[in-house]
Amino acid sequence: MPALDTDLDTATLVARARDGDVRAYEEVVRRYQAPMYRLALRMLSRAADAEDVVQDVFLTAWRRLSQLHDDGAFVGWLYRTTTNRCLNVIRARKPLSDVDLDTTESPSPAGRPDRAAETGAQMTALVAALDELTPEQRACWLLREVHGRSYEEIALTIGATATAVRGRIARARAQLAEVMSPWR
Amino acid sequence: MAVNQAYLLPCGRDVEDVWEHLDSGDEHDRTCPYCQSTRQSLSVLRGLTKELAEEDIAPSLDLTGRIMAAVRAEIRRHELLGPPGGVRVSTQAVAAVLRFAADGVPGVRARRCRVIEAPGDDQAIEVTLTIAVEFGLFALTALDEVRDRVATAAQAQVGVRLARLDLSVDDLYETGEDA
Repeated sequence: MPALDTDLDTATLVARARDGDVRAYEEVVRRYQAPMYRLALRMLSRAADAEDVVQDVFLTAWRRLSQLHDDGAFVGWLYRTTTNRCLNVIRARKPLSDVDLDTTESPSPAGRPDRAAETGAQMTALVAALDELTPEQRACWLLREVHGRSYEEIALTIGATATAVRGRIARARAQLAEVMSPWR
Repeated sequence: MAVNQAYLLPCGRDVEDVWEHLDSGDEHDRTCPYCQSTRQSLSVLRGLTKELAEEDIAPSLDLTGRIMAAVRAEIRRHELLGPPGGVRVSTQAVAAVLRFAADGVPGVRARRCRVIEAPGDDQAIEVTLTIAVEFGLFALTALDEVRDRVATAAQAQVGVRLARLDLSVDDLYETGEDA
């Protein structure tokens, strides 16, 4: 009995998608949209921006499948592309001083439905502290500590050496730990 | 910039050192007030990081649908098999039939399948098929079985002769992987 798409390993699904199997690709999307969304949401803080990035990443992935020669490298490619799209979105945002404050989203947790679930004051503080990191630091820390990606892959993603990535993560960790001190 | 001296505590230790020995502190770690408070902050951070990694936040329910609508709108025109003017069938549809046939062999998962018309014969096809095989279960006789099934499926379900099958095993998988 042939396996259902939901039972197949990712490399098999990617190989089939590359042959034009749309159902196999749909299963790939179902499997990886949530981790990519969570990464984008923590990078960008806005649910709508995060969804736009994820949609863009998976459409780009579909277009580039034919150029992808290693089916097993697909997930790393997804993380890399999602991270870079997020960094581009942040670079394209206007500096806060240029923005009309009346028309921007409230930065308070109450104004953000995607953060309403984070009732814990500690988690709210951590998420706020993440926003204070530089975008590259935030990307390095999220990819390593939350998504478990390798230093080498992160280095490739942001165009730095693995040693530099370790340094950024160490600084991010020290900064985040400082914010945690009221709860220790 | 020296990585190991990113954040020095007043006692001379680095925050990163404290992090690396969070579960196995030495005498200094246990008695130094700077190290102790740093350890406590890092422990809180570690707990929250785990929560962040496990948090159950999902995108809107219709995101998959929106992505797939965009994907389907882009699907390239399929190449067709068969005599011009006669009944023609898309090579991708044939590939799907052949993959399904190969999947029926225990321990085998079809991956890439390319189908082209055999040169000079529009009733025959040439197929390049790569498969992944299950670690520990796969037997060499399975390759012959894949050949049989693919040839039979081509003849019985598509109505074309399998003139050539290039079959290669390009990966191993373990049951339950990614599923």
